[in-house]
Amino acid sequence: MSDTLTELKEDVSLDVPWNVVVYDDPVNLMGYVTWVLMKIFGYPENRAAAMMLEVHKRGRSIVWSGEREKAEFYAEQLQAHQLKTSLEKAE
Amino acid sequence: MKVGPTLQGGLRIDVENPLDWMVLRCIPYDARGGGIDLADRLSAPMAKDEGIDDWREFVLPDLQDGFNTQVEIIEKALAGSGDDDEPGQVFIMKEDAELWYGGLNQARLALEERYGFSDEDPSTMTPGKRSAWFRSQFYLHVQSVLLDHVMR
Repeated sequence: MSDTLTELKEDVSLDVPWNVVVYDDPVNLMGYVTWVLMKIFGYPENRAAAMMLEVHKRGRSIVWSGEREKAEFYAEQLQAHQLKTSLEKAE
Repeated sequence: MKVGPTLQGGLRIDVENPLDWMVLRCIPYDARGGGIDLADRLSAPMAKDEGIDDWREFVLPDLQDGFNTQVEIIEKALAGSGDDDEPGQVFIMKEDAELWYGGLNQARLALEERYGFSDEDPSTMTPGKRSAWFRSQFYLHVQSVLLDHVMR
């Protein structure tokens, strides 16, 4: 009869945050994009306007980073406001 | 046609002639005219995301329902109005402002998709394209007034 030795190993690592990305489009007004970012994330106007300008000039902007579930919630909210949006893993 | 804010926090559109009524009735027509799957388009950058199948199954139908509601609220507001083509008024209540804004956005998106206005001079456009351009500019103006005086 042999004894079995069971070893348990725990491996804990930090979850990689997810970015919510908004993209430029030919229709949405700049003021509207700013308004949506203020409404959904509660950003002050200057921060929301800076993100909107980045979308306008660079074609995209990371508007929020954090856990996947919440990122999905925000992405859905942004798309419901007709903003083109994606999720990506933060580098 | 005149557009301005009301004391109740909404918006009033003064319709002055049959042409004005026609332009207003074009909003839902234009919004649906492009045959664009807006929900799918808005989530297109997520195409390579690991959760895209679930997104398509669970999120996109809700988004599409919301976009349909935006157009329906405009149709409802216009239904029965101006049947006699006489001058009249259309009211946009404060609580409906976002829905109107979204419906107008859909109409502009569909027109832009169909005609690709870019920076083209309207005087060089074909009559049909020029008519669509003017409608798009009118929708843009109403959106601007909604954003600046009702939604903020």
